[in-house]
Amino acid sequence: MDNWIKLPGCQYITSTKCSFSSLELNVYEEIKLRVRAEQGNDTSSWYEVISFIPFEKAQIGPPEVHLEAEDKAIIVNISPPGTKDSIMWALDSSSFIYSLVIWKNSSSIEKRTETVYPRDKIYKLSPETTYCLKVKARLRSPRKVGVYSPVYCINTTVENKLPPPENLEADVKNQSYVLKWDYTYADVTFQVQWLHAFLKKNPENHSHKWKQILDCENVKTTQCVFPQNVFPKGIYYLRVQASDGNNTSLWSEEKKFDTEIQTVIPPPVINVKSVSDSLRVYIGAPREAANKPVNQHYPLSYEIIFWKNTSNAERKILEKKVDFTIADLQPLTVYCVKARAQLADDGWNKSSVFSDTVCERTKPGNTSKSWLIAVICTALFAVPVVIYVVKVLLKGISYVFFPSLKPSSSIDEYFSEQPLKNLLLSTSEEQTEKCFIIEKVDTITTIEETNDIDEDHKKYSSQTSEDSGNYSNEDENSGSKTSEELLEQKMI
Amino acid sequence: TCTKPDMIQKCLWLTLLVGLCITGILSLDCNLLNVHLRRVTWQNLRLLSSMSNSFPVECLRENKAFELPQEILSHTQSLKRDLKETFYEMSLQAFNIFSQYTFKSTWKQKHLNQIQIGLDQQAEYLEQCLEEEENENENMKETTEDEMKHSGARVPQLTNLELRRYFNRIDNFLKEKKYSHCAWEIIRVEIRRCFYYFHKFTALLRRK
Repeated sequence: MDNWIKLPGCQYITSTKCSFSSLELNVYEEIKLRVRAEQGNDTSSWYEVISFIPFEKAQIGPPEVHLEAEDKAIIVNISPPGTKDSIMWALDSSSFIYSLVIWKNSSSIEKRTETVYPRDKIYKLSPETTYCLKVKARLRSPRKVGVYSPVYCINTTVENKLPPPENLEADVKNQSYVLKWDYTYADVTFQVQWLHAFLKKNPENHSHKWKQILDCENVKTTQCVFPQNVFPKGIYYLRVQASDGNNTSLWSEEKKFDTEIQTVIPPPVINVKSVSDSLRVYIGAPREAANKPVNQHYPLSYEIIFWKNTSNAERKILEKKVDFTIADLQPLTVYCVKARAQLADDGWNKSSVFSDTVCERTKPGNTSKSWLIAVICTALFAVPVVIYVVKVLLKGISYVFFPSLKPSSSIDEYFSEQPLKNLLLSTSEEQTEKCFIIEKVDTITTIEETNDIDEDHKKYSSQTSEDSGNYSNEDENSGSKTSEELLEQKMI
Repeated sequence: TCTKPDMIQKCLWLTLLVGLCITGILSLDCNLLNVHLRRVTWQNLRLLSSMSNSFPVECLRENKAFELPQEILSHTQSLKRDLKETFYEMSLQAFNIFSQYTFKSTWKQKHLNQIQIGLDQQAEYLEQCLEEEENENENMKETTEDEMKHSGARVPQLTNLELRRYFNRIDNFLKEKKYSHCAWEIIRVEIRRCFYYFHKFTALLRRK
C-alpha cells in the first residue's frame, strides 16, 4: 500500500487552491496527490491526481533584477528564479541563460534583445536617458522558458569626462599575450584587469575577483604585452581603464579571451578521392604546430578553390562540412583542389593560408563505368561457361566425327588452365575494394591510455570493496575488458 | 606504443587521420567536436586525479554508491544530437557541483580553478555546436526525418532525467555531510568515474 503523507500547507483549506512550496521532496521523482472534501465527520472519496514529476511540470518564474547605471552602460545583477534555497532549481543555478529586452522609455519601438550573464553590462547606450528593461530566464536542457520579470527602469548618468577604451583585441604571440585597444585621447595611462570566464556563470558577486595585470600597469601606449604565466590557459575576460591623473574613465567593454586560440589558423589538410564524375573531398585536421595541439573553439568554414589542370579558370565554393562532394565535373579530367579554413562567424575575419594543392583525375562517367563493370562481370562469368560449352561441343564433334580419337585431354588442359590463369591475372587490377569495418556495438571501445585510469580504479575499488559491498564493481569489470578493447582498438 | 600519456596526443591524431582515410569522416555538425571533447574530457579526468595525492583511508566508511546511470551510454539508438545534449547536461551539472566548493585546505585553489575552467570549456564547446545545429535546423524545412526526431524526443528527456537524479544524489550527499573534507574527496572520485564513462562515450559520437 502507498504511504500517503499529509501535505503541509494544504490541510483544512477553504479555497480550491493551495501551494506546497515548502515540501521536502525529490523533485525528480514521481509524486501522486489526492484531494478530498470534508465537512464535519463526513468525507468524500479521494480524487487522485495523475502522477507527475515536479521538475518536468515546473515553470521558471521571474528572476530578480538589480540595476546600476553608468554613462553609456547599465550594470545588471540578476538573481536566479526561486528563492535562495529553492529545491526545484538546485542543480541549475549556474545553468540559467538570461534574455534581456531593453528599450528607451521614450520610444518603446526600438527594442533590443540580448543574452546576458547573471552579472553583466549592457553597452552602447546614450547618457542621461531613461531606459527600461525586463529579463527572463531559460534552460537549454531540458528546454524550459520562464516568464519575464517586471519592467525595471533606470536613468543613465551624465557622460564621464574620460571615455573608456574601445575595440579590445587579444592575441597570442610567441610566448606572450598581446592586448590592443583604441583610445582617442593622448597623455593617459592605462591599467588592465582579468577575470576567469567561468565566474560569470555564477550568480554571486565577482566584482572583487578581477585581478590586475602588473605588466600593464600605467602603460602609456594603447597596447600591452604580458607573459603567458600571468594566468593558466583557459578562457578569460579582459578590461582596460584609462586615467589622466585627475580623472579615471569607466571600464571598457569586457573582452572574452581564449588563450588556446592560435593567432594563425593553420591550413587544413585535404584528401581528394575521385568517385565517378565527382570528387569527394575530405578536410582533415591540421598537423600539430610546435608543441600546441590544434584547438578550435569556434566553428570553422572552408573556402575551396578548384580548377581544371589545363585551364586557369578557378571555381570557388564555401563549405561548412568536412566531408563533401564536388559534383558535375567532366569525367577523365585532372582537377586540382586547394582549401583554406575561416572562422565562421563573429566577424573575426581570420583565415588560414591555403592548404597544399591536391590534384586528382576524375573517373569515367557513371554510365560508361557501369557498362565497363557489366562487361567485365559478364566476361568473368561467361568465360567458364564458354569453355564448358566448347568442351562439350568438341566432345560431341569428336564423338561424332572422330570416334576413335581422344583429343580432349590436352586441349582440355590447355583451355581450362591457361586462359583461366591469364584471365585471373588480367582481372586482378579491377577497382579497389572498399573495406568497411564492422564491429560489435555492445561494448564501447577505448584507446589504450585508459589503462592508466584502470589501474587507479583497481587500486581504489580493491580498497573499498572490503568496506562496503555497495560500492559497484564496474571498475574491476572494465579492467578485464582491456583485451577486448585492444582488439577493437586495432579495428579503428 | 600508446601507453605513455605524452604519446596519447600523437596517438589520438594518428588514429584520427587513419580513421579519416579508411572509414571516411562522418558528417559532423560541428567540425572535429568529438576530438576536442575527447581531449578536454581526458584533461579534466587527469586534473581530477591530480587534485589529491591519494584517497584518504579514513573517508572510506562514508563512501556511498551513487549509481551512475550507465544505460545512457548504451543507448545506441540515440541520435547524435541527444548524445551531445546529454554530454552538455553532464558538463553543466559537474560544473555546478564544483562551483559550490568554498575554499578550504582540502584542495589547492589553482586545481579547483583549472577544473572549473575545463568544465566551462567543455560546456561552451557543446553549447556552440548545439546552437549551430539549432540554427541549421531552423533553416531547413520540416522533413519526415525531423518528425521522427520529435517523436523520439521522449527518450533523451528520460535519460537526462536519470542523469539529473544521479547528480541530485551527489548534491544531497554533499549537503548532508555539510561539505566536509571526506564528502568532497568521495565526490571527486565519483565525478572522476563519471568522466571516465563519458570519455568512452565520446567514441559513440565519432562512431555514428
